[in-house]
Order: sequence, then structure tokens, then C-alpha cells
Amino acid sequence: MSDFGEALRSAWHLLAADAEIRGIILRTLAISGAATACAMLLGIPAGYALARGRFRGRTLLLGLVNTGMGMPPVVVGLIVWLVLARGGVFGPLHLLYTPQAMVIAQFLIAMPLVIGFTTASVQALPGALPDLLRSLGAGRLQRLWLLCREARLGLLAAVMAAFGAIISEVGAAMTVGGNLRGSTRVLTTAIVTVTGRGEIPQALALGIILLLLALAVNLVLTLVQQRR
Amino acid sequence: MEIAVRDLLFERSGRRVLDIPELSFAAGTVTALFGPNGAGKTTLLRLLAGLETPLSGEVRLGQARSARERALVSAVAFQEPAFLRGTVRQNLTLGLTLRRVAAEEHAARVQDAASETGITDLLDRPARALSAGEARRVNLARALALAAPVMLLDEPLAGVDRPTRRALLQEIPRLLRSRPVTALIVTHDREEAFRLADRIAVMVDGRVIRHGSADDVYRAPGTALVADLLGYTILEVAGRRVAVPPGGLRLGEGTGPVLPYDVTQVVLVGDHRHAVGRIGTAAVECRLGETDPVPEPGTRVQVGVERSVEVDG
Repeated sequence: MSDFGEALRSAWHLLAADAEIRGIILRTLAISGAATACAMLLGIPAGYALARGRFRGRTLLLGLVNTGMGMPPVVVGLIVWLVLARGGVFGPLHLLYTPQAMVIAQFLIAMPLVIGFTTASVQALPGALPDLLRSLGAGRLQRLWLLCREARLGLLAAVMAAFGAIISEVGAAMTVGGNLRGSTRVLTTAIVTVTGRGEIPQALALGIILLLLALAVNLVLTLVQQRR
Repeated sequence: MEIAVRDLLFERSGRRVLDIPELSFAAGTVTALFGPNGAGKTTLLRLLAGLETPLSGEVRLGQARSARERALVSAVAFQEPAFLRGTVRQNLTLGLTLRRVAAEEHAARVQDAASETGITDLLDRPARALSAGEARRVNLARALALAAPVMLLDEPLAGVDRPTRRALLQEIPRLLRSRPVTALIVTHDREEAFRLADRIAVMVDGRVIRHGSADDVYRAPGTALVADLLGYTILEVAGRRVAVPPGGLRLGEGTGPVLPYDVTQVVLVGDHRHAVGRIGTAAVECRLGETDPVPEPGTRVQVGVERSVEVDG
């Protein structure tokens, strides 16, 4: 209990006075935010297509997406590491151990979550809506926008699930980011580092900051989601 | 706006659903697409509205040929009314926004359509919380608000209670005839077809097998199949195939040919009775007049054919 109290005080102190921690927080938000945004940009149309389309291989694709939703982040990190490593397909791009590599890995973790939630929420809409919108004069993009607006409860749940999953993962961030101080260190990898050094109150403080961050983002999204 | 279809073929999962060499509906007419379930009526409606793509052939609403152009000159009231989240007013306004109707016209258009269909008091209610009858009216109002030159109504009375149905049977023809629209109404109900439309196109197995004014189609169905769908009883009389309209048979000897009628049952239908039985192999129901003697089930009596038309097939 005293550890927890000390952690709370430490968390406040870190937020108020430690420029490095503020940098880590901003980096964490930037990397996970960028990965979530990319996953939304590609995942929502893909989920819509999976929900509405009738094509060969659709069920297999849905199965893969559902499997991907439970993919261990460290495995995703390993795959991305293999692709970005010096001998890998994208080795010449020199992306390994950069924030960009972390965005790629987190994007791949978030993508199946966004696709899966989008597919389910679009499928739950009344089946007649797309034809109705078409008959009212909506073009393709207008239909996509209006249907996504109708399915916003599910879509924002997708964003929350995806952001929550990647901001709190450590395996992929560590594998492809390398936890380099001032460059690729994010909150989760920082927690691993200070825990390894035995600085438990500081680790707890970082954990509290991470939880507060996730809570703040999810509160904002929930407010948007539940708005009438 | 004239509606025209030429050499239209449509298939679904390899099965021919529509095969219409030529069909047109003159501007300003109200036509019922009438036929049994699975005849292709709704598919034809969806093709006209630009919601389906034909295998081959031409579909034209005025000068609108592409699916997108056809969608923009037509207004569809679907069989299952669907609404987006939000109020009835927002749902009615959405189509106007999508069709780029000037914003200052929205309120008046919505108000007019609402008052014509009797839904003014529903405008600020959530659209997804309406009863079936209310949803039907809102569905109709949404289509009317678009003021499109072509109106396509798919089973507009499906699933409504009797009072609503009775009211809509009077209101829909009035609403359609009070504006310059070419309207098609899909229905499998004979009474609805004749009450709602001036013209009837009878569809069976993806083909239009009879098309004309309601009066002409009823008086001269042409084939036994059409006559049967219109409620006629098909009989063989003196080696000829004839169609007898409801009320065209009378117990006992009448002015026309007399046929033997095997009565199996007598049923009370409200304020009068029907004899149920067979003439040869044909199942026949015969309305009994107030003064007619009630035949005993299991007996053979005589019926006179008072009215009939000759049919082919």
C-alpha cells in the first residue's frame, strides 16, 4: 500500500518535473495514435467490404481476421523484425529500431481488431440501409460515410479496442523498437526497463500514467460514441 | 416520365429471373405489377430504380439510362421500411440533402409530404420507434418528399393492420394521382392491384404476360393463367375453356350452361354462405344468395354459368 502511495506521488512528480517522461508519453501517444489512425483508414473500408461484399474467399478472410484479433503482439513484432532486419525484404529501408517500425508493428496488431469490429457492426445494421441510401441518391463515399455513422457504436468500440491493445503492448514495441532511450522508448518498454532495475515505485508510477492515458483517450471516444 | 424496358434479361445465381423483350409505362400512369411471389416484380422494380444491373438489355426512365441516373429520377418506397438513426424529420430530409435540393426548400417539402400522409405529429419522433403502420406512412412520405417523376412502391400495404390498410387503399391512389408521376406498385394482392392502380401488368416467372388498363385486363384476361390469378374459376364448358368471374356461378339453372356441382362443404362467410365443391376436377366456390336453398354436403347439384369469358391455355 505504501508502495502504491509512493507510486502516485512519484507519478505526479514524473509528470510535473521529468522532461524525459513527458517525452516518452508524447512518443507513446504519437506512435500508438499513428498506428490506430492507419488501422482505421484501411481497416474500416476493409471491414465494410467484408461485411457487405459477397466474394470467393470471404469466409476464409474473415477467419484470418478473427485469428488476427488474438495474435500475440510479440509474434507480430518478430515477423516485422524479420521483414525489416538487414537481410529482410525491407532491410534496405533501415527502419528497424525506429518509431516508424513500431508504428508498422502496432498497425498490424490493430488492423484485425478494426476490421473485425467494423465487419460485425456493419453486419448488424438493417440489411436494407445500403439500398435505401442508394435509392435516395447517395454515392459510394456518401454511403460508406452514412453507414459508418450508423455503425459508430461498433466503430468507436473498434478504435478503443485497437488503441487499448497497442498502447499497452510491450512485445512488439520492444522487438522492433529496441527501447532506445530518447528515440523508441515508450511507456510500456520504460516500465520493463525500470522494473528490471528494481525501481518498483517508479515502474508503478509509469503504469499509473499509462492507465490514465488510456482512460483519458477512451473517455473522449466514449463521449463521442454515446453522443445522441 | 415514360418508363421503358427493352430486351431485358436478369439472372441470379445462374437462374433466369427476368426475361422481358419490351415493356413501357406511359408518363403519368399508375400501374400495378401484379403476380404471385417469385414472379420477378420486385426485381424489375429494383432494376428500374438502379439497384440491380441487368445481364443485358436497356432500362430507361425518361432519358435516364445509367443506374445512378435512374436512382436520381425515381423515389422508392421499399417493402420493409428502413430508417437511419434520428427523427422522422431527419430521415425525410436526408434524401433531399443527398439530391442537393436547395436547403431552404427542405422544411416545406418535408411538411407537405408529412401533412399529405398524415404523419405531421410523428416528425420529431425517433424513426426507429414507429409502429408498422406509422413506418409505412413515413416510408411513403419520404418517397413523396423527393418529388421524383417516377415513384416505385414495393408492396406498400404489406404487414399493416386492417384500419391502416383501408386508409392507405384510399390515400395512395389520391396521393399518386395528385402529382405528375409515373408510378409502379408491386403487389401480389388482387384487390390492392385494382384499388391502387389504373393499369395492371401481370407477371409470372419473370415475364409480363398481360399488360393493359385494369378494366381491359379484368374483362379479357386472355389466358387461363391470368384469369386464375385474377380470381376467375377455370372450367371446361362444352369443350371450350372458360373463365368464370367471382359471382358468375349460380345454384340451379340459370341463363347460361348448366354443370354438375359436387358439394363438399357449406361455409358461412360473414353475412352469406359459400358452397365449396368441385366441377369435374376444378375446385369451385359458389356464393349462395339469400333465397338459394342450402345444398347438403356430399350431394350433387346443378350450377348455372351466368357469366364467363373464353380463355386460352
